[in-house]
Amino acid sequence: MTQTKAHVIIIGAGFTGCALAYDLARRGLAVTVVDRGEIASGTSGRTHGLLHSGARYCVNDQESAIECIHENIILRKIAHQCIEYNGGFFVALNEQDLAYQARFEIGAQQCGIEIDAIHPQKARQLEPNLNPAVLAVYHVPDGVFDPLRLALAFAASARFFGAEFLPYHEMENFLTNGQGTVTGIKLWNRLTNAHSELKADLVVNATGAWAGMILKKIGASVVVTPTPGIMVAYNRRLINRVINRLNEPGDGDILIPQRRMVVIGTTSYEAEEVDYIPVEKEQAIQMDRDAISLVPGVATCNRRGVYMSARPLIGKGEAGRSLARTFKCFDHRETDGIEGLVTITGGKATTCRLMAEKTADLVCQKLGLTATCETACEPLRSYREYYRPSGVNR
Amino acid sequence: MKNNQPAPGKALRWFDPRHRQPGTWAFILNRITALGLTLYLALHLIMLGKLAQGPDAYDTFIALAKTPWIKVGELLVISAGLIHGLNGIRIALTSFGIGVTVQRQLFWGFLTLALLGTVIFGYFMFFVH
Amino acid sequence: MTEGHWHVTFCIYRKKGDQPPFYQDFPLEVDPDEYVLDGIERIWAFHDRSLTFRHACHHSTCGACGMLVNGVEKLTCITPIRAVTKNGGTIRVEPLRNFPVLSDLVVDMAEFYLRMEQAHALQVVPVAQSTLPYEPPPFPDDGLPHQRLNDCIECGMCVSACPIALTASSYQGPAALAATQQTYSLTGEKSLLSLVDCADGVWRCHSGFECTAVCPSNVDPAWRIMELRRQVIRHRIQRIFHQDR
Repeated sequence: MTQTKAHVIIIGAGFTGCALAYDLARRGLAVTVVDRGEIASGTSGRTHGLLHSGARYCVNDQESAIECIHENIILRKIAHQCIEYNGGFFVALNEQDLAYQARFEIGAQQCGIEIDAIHPQKARQLEPNLNPAVLAVYHVPDGVFDPLRLALAFAASARFFGAEFLPYHEMENFLTNGQGTVTGIKLWNRLTNAHSELKADLVVNATGAWAGMILKKIGASVVVTPTPGIMVAYNRRLINRVINRLNEPGDGDILIPQRRMVVIGTTSYEAEEVDYIPVEKEQAIQMDRDAISLVPGVATCNRRGVYMSARPLIGKGEAGRSLARTFKCFDHRETDGIEGLVTITGGKATTCRLMAEKTADLVCQKLGLTATCETACEPLRSYREYYRPSGVNR
Repeated sequence: MKNNQPAPGKALRWFDPRHRQPGTWAFILNRITALGLTLYLALHLIMLGKLAQGPDAYDTFIALAKTPWIKVGELLVISAGLIHGLNGIRIALTSFGIGVTVQRQLFWGFLTLALLGTVIFGYFMFFVH
Repeated sequence: MTEGHWHVTFCIYRKKGDQPPFYQDFPLEVDPDEYVLDGIERIWAFHDRSLTFRHACHHSTCGACGMLVNGVEKLTCITPIRAVTKNGGTIRVEPLRNFPVLSDLVVDMAEFYLRMEQAHALQVVPVAQSTLPYEPPPFPDDGLPHQRLNDCIECGMCVSACPIALTASSYQGPAALAATQQTYSLTGEKSLLSLVDCADGVWRCHSGFECTAVCPSNVDPAWRIMELRRQVIRHRIQRIFHQDR
């Protein structure tokens, strides 16, 4: 008898879903990714686009910081095709910021993040549009990526290794064997309005901020707090490096260059309903102010876009900022007594490959496979290959 | 079933000026004037053929050519020739990378020239001769 | 009615599977400063879950949300409702032209992306050479070899607006030709010229300049096509005098 490949369904084609599909397909599993929309049409697509150096978290959330710097180095290598890597600055603008300096230096050192103190005058030479009132400046290995293309690159690589993608297929419900084991999902093809069923050996819920909503259908739960943040894009590229406020993570403290724009982010509030979260006008105005305080030239720019993205934060906290930015993988046999179902949520775009690696490890362990992760070395396939019709050049 | 893909049969939609830019208006004008000039060439050849039928046929033709409606038609031919020729210069220039960033201004400029030329010709045709 | 809000009707192109297409009206109360894409997303969230549309970044870096808004190609994520209608007005939303429609507002980008790949389109370019030669240098330049994501976001709107792409499916299209020009100017790779020196390449363009008019990202495909023609001619003349090239 020929051994057929173990089949895994991944719900959600965001960064995690695409990266996980790539990892599992590379390990030799049969993978189907379903998403109710296009690739990266939820949180992932609307990400700020910052390839974190980890310095943002090196004082308060060192676990995330260490993940970030490791993944930053890997992504620069494997996803160079969609990253502008020009480094970033952390800038101090007042006494409070200066007081944070010592903790920042120690934190960065502890996390293994290379930071360089730069004389403010020199920094203004490098970035002429930087606020002339900067008191201290550090260089960090930040970068900027294109959100959709990063997800597409992972998806294209997954397809190259045989994974199948079903965009515009909404997961309606789980299929079970009646004894608490998930055996597949029911699907609604939104392109044709057809309904179907898909069987699998294991289902991975990679829906991020929607993870709780999906799990409700089967009576399982994880505590995920959808924590949206507002971002504003302006129509001129005033900087080449990412400009971060040298302080604890807060609102409007990161200004990134992207194509011909600069984009400021972000805020943090909690939302119950995640399918549609309106953009708060007051928060956008606050973003304008924050952007101007980092780079005064923003005042002369026009807004190009105002948008929000809902982070999936694990746990339930009063303020979203207090929740760790790390990720977590749940085996629902242990949490809810449900076999054949795994949830991955939390984390951030920069760490999506690592999230996929850890989830794939769990998936393989549950399926009794010994394959190991191979996604960290080889560059991803061209993101454009994702749209290639199946059967072409394969 | 409505097909959203390219098809040669959609060429008629080239002539829909709605939501289009001066570039397309020029494109449309160039095609209309070209069709007009081709039609005129055909008529012109037929008329020349009349010459072979003797002096009487020629005189009848000249008398016809002096009626106002034919004069208007001739003015249209002149106008079409000017528009097509001048816009042709614009296309030739931009195709060699000259004046691409001012192609709109070139269009309006040449169109004004063509209309001016038409008015001058019209003046001589209707009021001088 | 909330103060300052408008009542706007979204008239949306609908199509599922092999069924015939139709238009469906969705009356909506909107803030005129919201973007067209926000309205479409709300229709999906609160009125009709079967509506499909492409979107990702919501700030014009991904190029997924190009659609026909009131007959004109618009990147819906950066098009304020105020710019395309008035209070009590209608916004007609259709999928891009010259692309096969998969469902509702979703078009098939496979062929387009394939052509971009064949044109060796770059996605990351040196900042110093990232703008058009006729533009004043708009970015700070400290002499370091900075790179940035390219202007072209592969939204397909230039192909949608192109009158030639309407009738000739084999035309390489403004986006791919513009990409070829940019890659050639950065690499000097001569084989790129022979790729476009054909009836479906640079010579197919009929100077409608619609591509440049709808481009949301300063690519100026028309200028690039004309420049590419110049390079093709220059290369041909050079070949006459230097047979070895």
